[in-house]
Amino acid sequence: MNPRIRRLGIAFVLLYMLLFAQLNRVQFFGAERLQEDVNNTRGLIREFGRPRGPIVTADGVLLARSLPSDGSVDFVREYPEGDLYAHIVGYQSLNVAATGLERVYNDELAGLPVEQQFTSLGDLFADRDTTATLRLSIRHDVQTAARDALGERRGSVVALDPRTGEIIALWTYPSFDPNRLADPDGSAANAAHDELQSDPADPLLAKAYREIFFPGSTFKLVTAAAGIESGLIDAIGPVFAEREVYDPIPAGAPIRNFGGSTCGGDLVEILRVSCNVAFAEMGAEWVGPEGMVNAAESFGFNTTPNIDLPSPATSRFPVEFGERLADVDFYRGFEEGGDPSRSNGSVPIHEDSARLAQTAIGQNDVAATPLQMALVAAAIANGGVMMTPHVVVELVAADGSLYETIGSEISRIAMRTSTANTLADAMRVVANEGTARNLLVEGLDIGGKTGTAQIGTEPPKSHAWIVGFAGLPGEEPSLAFAVIVEATEGASEQTGGRVAAPIARSVVKAFFGIS
Amino acid sequence: MTVTGSAIEGVNANPLRDFRPRRVEAGLLVMVAATVGAAYGLASFGTSEAIPADLGPFLLWMFGLGLVVHLAVRRWASAADPVLVPVALLLNGLGYVVITRLDGGLAALQSTWTAVGVGGFVATLLVLPRARILESYRYLLGLVGLGLLMLPLVPGFGREINGARIWASVGPINFQPGEFAKLALAAFFAAYLVDSRELLRTRLELRDLAPIGAAWAISLGVMVLERDLGSSLLFFALFVVVLWVASERWIVLAFGGGLFVVGALLSWQLFDHVQTRVDIWLDPFADPKGDGYQIVEASFALADGGLSGTGLGHGEPGRIPFVETDFIFAAIGEELGMAGSAAVLMAFLILVGSGLRIALRASRIFDKLFALGLTTLVGVQAFVIIGGVLRVVPLTGITLPFVSYGGSSLVANYALLALLVRLSHEQRTAEMT
Repeated sequence: MNPRIRRLGIAFVLLYMLLFAQLNRVQFFGAERLQEDVNNTRGLIREFGRPRGPIVTADGVLLARSLPSDGSVDFVREYPEGDLYAHIVGYQSLNVAATGLERVYNDELAGLPVEQQFTSLGDLFADRDTTATLRLSIRHDVQTAARDALGERRGSVVALDPRTGEIIALWTYPSFDPNRLADPDGSAANAAHDELQSDPADPLLAKAYREIFFPGSTFKLVTAAAGIESGLIDAIGPVFAEREVYDPIPAGAPIRNFGGSTCGGDLVEILRVSCNVAFAEMGAEWVGPEGMVNAAESFGFNTTPNIDLPSPATSRFPVEFGERLADVDFYRGFEEGGDPSRSNGSVPIHEDSARLAQTAIGQNDVAATPLQMALVAAAIANGGVMMTPHVVVELVAADGSLYETIGSEISRIAMRTSTANTLADAMRVVANEGTARNLLVEGLDIGGKTGTAQIGTEPPKSHAWIVGFAGLPGEEPSLAFAVIVEATEGASEQTGGRVAAPIARSVVKAFFGIS
Repeated sequence: MTVTGSAIEGVNANPLRDFRPRRVEAGLLVMVAATVGAAYGLASFGTSEAIPADLGPFLLWMFGLGLVVHLAVRRWASAADPVLVPVALLLNGLGYVVITRLDGGLAALQSTWTAVGVGGFVATLLVLPRARILESYRYLLGLVGLGLLMLPLVPGFGREINGARIWASVGPINFQPGEFAKLALAAFFAAYLVDSRELLRTRLELRDLAPIGAAWAISLGVMVLERDLGSSLLFFALFVVVLWVASERWIVLAFGGGLFVVGALLSWQLFDHVQTRVDIWLDPFADPKGDGYQIVEASFALADGGLSGTGLGHGEPGRIPFVETDFIFAAIGEELGMAGSAAVLMAFLILVGSGLRIALRASRIFDKLFALGLTTLVGVQAFVIIGGVLRVVPLTGITLPFVSYGGSSLVANYALLALLVRLSHEQRTAEMT
């Protein structure tokens, strides 16, 4: 019998080796795959089992903190400011994927990075609080002013420091209360999420940086930059003819001014009155597709912006304008007497140059996030240098020491300094004497550009825009901003200045502490 | 001095004074107590960040139980293999620590059951000065085994808990008679085959097999009626292995394998719960929140554990349904990592090895077959449930011997351990004289 017993022993060894092999598969080789399985909520439970660092504004207002909980998880996240910072801070939820800074800075908030865990040799032995506090560049007073000024109108406000890219305010209405999604009661959180998701106003979407809109006339700043960079246009020349209608070449729908008015003049003048016909001509016949695309892309269109918030939308500018047909002289040379000395005579005309003319005034296929338009104003205010936008400036340890400082970074060179200065001066004229007069605050150096982007509804509605900058006289501008009020009643060149500019003005006043 | 004690001393005077195995055992037991005590402290520290106030009493209790077992073996089975008891106590202690960490209330019960188990261990050694005593009660044991098995089916006694009717209640006490039935049936199979073995070696005829065949068929039938798949598998393995070794005929294995396939297919056809189990085994991720939940969560737990584990008290094993009983292996794998889970595998392999060594060296046929049967029970049971948790085989609800929570299982396995210790003592005493 003994040989059988020995064989049985071998059989047992083999069976247990099989178990051991499977143990290796589950606990070692396949462990990562199992941990990443969609059904695996252990990571989440772990995340909710430890405290996270708080999030505070530049002026010390608490935006998020962890509170001990008796429920299914050990800690719940509380957002004392409710909906005011939902689109920045986001939420950490058991049931819904996290978003906002809670997502981007998840590891740092939870204290996971090695550099936070081991700042000195002593950390090997002591159990130290390794979570980081996120200190933002957002100022609570400015953010509150933005919310109050916008009121219950759908729209967004973005304000940032053009010199550093630090975002001072970022608000979209409607917003939502992140506390509802952080509810440890899963069904309550799910119900809240479902409700918010089915809301047609889409309060979950941070439209300030995640939705694109027709920029309307605010885009004329980009067209103007393209014009100046082309070398054919400066502040005082050429003088665009006073006209009511621009007839595109080779063919296409005529472009008119708001209310059928007549306008023309030099760059400053056409910017001051936001002259559609002149900018349409500038885009299509002075700059051409290549220059327009270059300028738009220099400002960051067609590139996903580099910002420390999740999933920013990409502003877009069309890049295809069809076959090159002939140059401007071919079409315009004869009708105006065949003057061979026209400075734009050799600008190429393409099949879709009519569309290009529309894009030059921010219509057709141009679309930008409010953040993008704020960055356009910021680049102009900052001598053509666009800084990388960010909301987090410091990671602070529990004992007050610094883990990390997020410095300023150049994002791109949008244009030459001289171009930027020319445009900035023109924007000052627009604010002082033009469509953006509602921006003016006494004692401040302010420039702006309005926009009214018709969205083709009946009765007519349009996105009311204002972009601009503000600073103390004699100093570099320290604030750049963009405001959009979506789908507001009416459509005239005054709409942007009437509706959006006062909001920006409130934000500017809050920033400079002017009551 | 008891009658049994003097009887042993009278038979083999010389090896009884040789306490070297017991010194080894004592050393191992001290190591086990230190390991389990440290684990207990760590688990408590992990869950509540405090050294438990009852660490002192707990260690005393541990040492006390270990001492009782050790003294009992020293007194009544002094030549026994020194490894058996420490390995079993290590598994029991580890299981207890994990149960404490999972559910304090269950842990209190489990410590009572451990005391009862140790009592059962001592009693078994006391009552059975020689294993061969059982040989003469073979048919009685067979009947007792079947009776115990059927007890849950008797109206008034039986209780169905969690879909399996394997419980009996006598007064206030619920227990699983099947756990004890397997010991009785192992003894019956061994004893019966001692006689018919010679016959079976030359001719394998059904009528020679009738009594154990009947016992086996009845036990399988009963298990199926009670929806206890794990135990069915266990009895099947016990029967086939013991018969194969006794008859020394490969045909038994082939026949057994064939029967197994037929039985498996039949029960798959007949029973929904068997189909469900197989479906879960094939793809638990098909219904990860429903049928597959337990296995899926166990896989996640083991994956979280990785090589070194989350640390006792730092994991989330409570997410797995029935983690204190059927799935305790996953909890160990999560919090102690592969280091811990592989150690449990090793411990069972050592138990199996020790048990088979007794079977190999025993001179009497009954002792051989009985040791073999008992070892098979432990080895297969551990394989079936660990394999179920690891998805090597379809899951069948059954306890992990010595580790899982459960009074019947613990007491029965301590009795099984006492029987192995008794057999080991006899085998070694015989070798030495």
